[in-house]
Amino acid sequence: MSENSLGLSLNGKPRHFEKVPDAERLLDTIRWRAGLKGTKEGCRTGDCGACMVLVNGEPTLSCLVLSREVAEEKITTIEGLSTEKVGRLVIAAFEEAGAVQCGYCTPGFVVALAAQLGGRGPPPPLETLLDGLEGNLCRCTGYLAIQKAVAAAREAI
Amino acid sequence: MTRSDAAPKARGGVGYGMDLEAPGMLWAALVRAPVPHGRIVRMELGPARRMPGVVAVVGPDEIRTLLPKGALEAERPVFPLDEIRYRGEPIAAVAAETLEQARHAAAAVVPVVESLRTDARIEDVFPEWPSAAAAKDPRVVGHVHARHGDVEARFRSADLVHSETYHTSGVHQVALEPHACLGEARGGKFRVRTSTQTPFGLREDLASILGIFESSLVVEGTWVGGGFGGKGAAFLEPYALLLAVASRRPVKLSVTYAEEFELGRTTLPSIIRLDTAVRGGKIVGRRVRLLLDTGASLPGRDFAVGYSIGFLLGPYRTETYEIEGFAVQTNKPPFGPHRAPFAPQSVFALESHIDGLARRLGVDPIEFRLRQVWREGDRTAYDQPVGPFGLEAGLKAAARTAGAWRTRLPAGHGIGVACGFWSTSVGAGGEARLSLRPDGLVILQGEREIGNGSVVHGLAVVAERVLGLSLAAIRVDYGDTATAPFDSGVFGSRTLGALGQAVERGARSLVTILAKRVGASEIHLEIKSGQVLVVAGRRRHKLVDLLTPTERAEGGLVVEGKFYGPEREVDASRVLAGSVYPYQDFTGAVHLAEVEVDRETGHLRVVRYAAFQDVGTAVDPSAVQGQVEGGVVMGLGAALSEEMLWTPEARLANPGLLDYRLPRLRDVPPIHVELIEGFAGAGPFGAKGVGEPPIIPVPAAVANAVADATGTRVFEMPLTPERVARALKLL
Repeated sequence: MSENSLGLSLNGKPRHFEKVPDAERLLDTIRWRAGLKGTKEGCRTGDCGACMVLVNGEPTLSCLVLSREVAEEKITTIEGLSTEKVGRLVIAAFEEAGAVQCGYCTPGFVVALAAQLGGRGPPPPLETLLDGLEGNLCRCTGYLAIQKAVAAAREAI
Repeated sequence: MTRSDAAPKARGGVGYGMDLEAPGMLWAALVRAPVPHGRIVRMELGPARRMPGVVAVVGPDEIRTLLPKGALEAERPVFPLDEIRYRGEPIAAVAAETLEQARHAAAAVVPVVESLRTDARIEDVFPEWPSAAAAKDPRVVGHVHARHGDVEARFRSADLVHSETYHTSGVHQVALEPHACLGEARGGKFRVRTSTQTPFGLREDLASILGIFESSLVVEGTWVGGGFGGKGAAFLEPYALLLAVASRRPVKLSVTYAEEFELGRTTLPSIIRLDTAVRGGKIVGRRVRLLLDTGASLPGRDFAVGYSIGFLLGPYRTETYEIEGFAVQTNKPPFGPHRAPFAPQSVFALESHIDGLARRLGVDPIEFRLRQVWREGDRTAYDQPVGPFGLEAGLKAAARTAGAWRTRLPAGHGIGVACGFWSTSVGAGGEARLSLRPDGLVILQGEREIGNGSVVHGLAVVAERVLGLSLAAIRVDYGDTATAPFDSGVFGSRTLGALGQAVERGARSLVTILAKRVGASEIHLEIKSGQVLVVAGRRRHKLVDLLTPTERAEGGLVVEGKFYGPEREVDASRVLAGSVYPYQDFTGAVHLAEVEVDRETGHLRVVRYAAFQDVGTAVDPSAVQGQVEGGVVMGLGAALSEEMLWTPEARLANPGLLDYRLPRLRDVPPIHVELIEGFAGAGPFGAKGVGEPPIIPVPAAVANAVADATGTRVFEMPLTPERVARALKLL
């Protein structure tokens, strides 16, 4: 293994990349090395939430994390999440509520909401779930349809 | 009705401009001007060319050496040939193996620049209000003057003249997806894939910038991560294409959010003076004077003034008026369209003014508007007919809601009303190719979905309604500019109204053709076991049996639907200089805001909101609701917090989301949406465009609520806590 190689656990599979600069962000490794472009690139400053992924189940802005920092952790992107029950449920709720317009923010919202609904036990109160989406920007919907989707996903879980 | 693109987008399964990639692709970065106004004395590109990974560096010289002669004569060449006109203007570009290498090399290009005098603001150009002679100033890039009737006499005999000045700020579209494109050039042929609202308009624009024929260039749209007007004209494409010529490789160019803000073709500030003469409780005359900051725009921008001034007369009968406006060149980036271009800021001024006038007269603001609002059959300021128009009905509905709100209005709260009108660009034409195949319908057209659903969903719904075929059997397909029929673009709330009519016409010709073939007067289509059936009364025919051998070979029955709306004309005798915008196909909205004002900090909280939207016919009510909610919230951003802040040196002080505050999920009040139907528009089934109108009245409704709560008017937007506190004399 060369000095610049990097191993990641991506959506349950071990992945291996060569010649990865130390300063490379997780967002770029996911999108341009792993080719998983469902994770969206927005502001790259941690303000918009479009690039959200799960690191050990915790919602994380992949634009603010260096790939090397999470080499030992379990990373789940929207592609992985959408094959899991909670992901499918959240996606269906967004679809039904008309909460998807241009769609650029949607994978980030799905990740942020699924992270909160994915735990064992009863789902958190609606207000807590909505607070958990304050880090995700949407410019199209005005958030009201998204709030409906959150309520529906919470009921469905 | 759920949209076919919703789940794929939510799964992260659709490709936007930012996701573009090609084998052998290079990454590009821009070298940007270090001063807002100046001349490049010297710029060495050699050192950057020798940096690791760099394949090509292009600057003004490469326009000469790599492109046809016409590229030097473009109105705005790829790079400035004479003057730098705004800070951050691209002056060179780099393509390298990695983005990091490209950005390092771009940073290594340090031009020697001679600075010229900077006009950062309108006031730098015109410290005093300009006289008509100012139209000759080279920094006036647009001038419009129009009048009608004996304005002076009406002002002399008025019971009351109400005079005010308003200031508005620049607002950025902030589509979540930054601009991004991928350019290729080979043997004089160009191809660009890009996130765009207007593939055909962009092709025309790029051909003129590159000095090539349109036929040498193909534009292919990607899925668009939000447009809002910001993804129309050429933006990054010229740089990517010039680098592709220089490097003989595909070149990807996207920008950071800071660059988005600093390059942005956005709304820019305006100063608006309004004088209104009233007699017998009605408006009898108006004077409008407007100064519009158009940034580093070149001459020929009359339309910016023309668009704006229409909104300053309003959707009201105005017997006499005189309007004059100047587009003023400054050293900010050139202005650009933003959802309902020029309307929210103009309407902020007019509707604040009308509201203050009503209060001064002691008349209820809704009642005052009802006295003069356009009704069908009225004539506009430029003597155009007003067609079916739902604003009167909207005002009456709003009056009921406002009355209910007022019965339980807490202290410190106020209710504001504002009207807005819009004219959908239905006349901008378009075409679609409909292929009815044995297993379903394919609609081929040139637009990509930008988010509102008008393409991927709206066009399918139009075909569904005409043919009776279920949505599941209809696919909206996209082509590039070489394969798809022409369309004007996704802008101006026109897509369903105009391109939708092309689809409607195509679908109707399918019905006519098939009815003739089965010898019936009426038919509709059904899908059963994957087969399209033509149903005529009790008879059912398989489509496949009705096709000619040629059609079977071609895969189906193919028709072209075309729609080019009528040219609209204004009464030219009223226009003394420049040109005004020929409005058409009117729609309108009435908004109500309940606002709580913090009397210590000036902070505003919008408690609840109501929007009454004239839609003609709602082809898909849930999609319309989504447009209204989204437009209102975008408008709340412009009303409360969104503002581009420039320093006296024309430097943008807040180029990022940390300091340019967008509405977030928890900022949003409950929004009651009521659709006003029955005032048919020109679109399919009487539909009116709805993408833009919902943003228009928002800043005015909020400002009028503040005036209602406090008795104090705020004359600037956005209504930040600082401005509100100043108006309340807390600061």
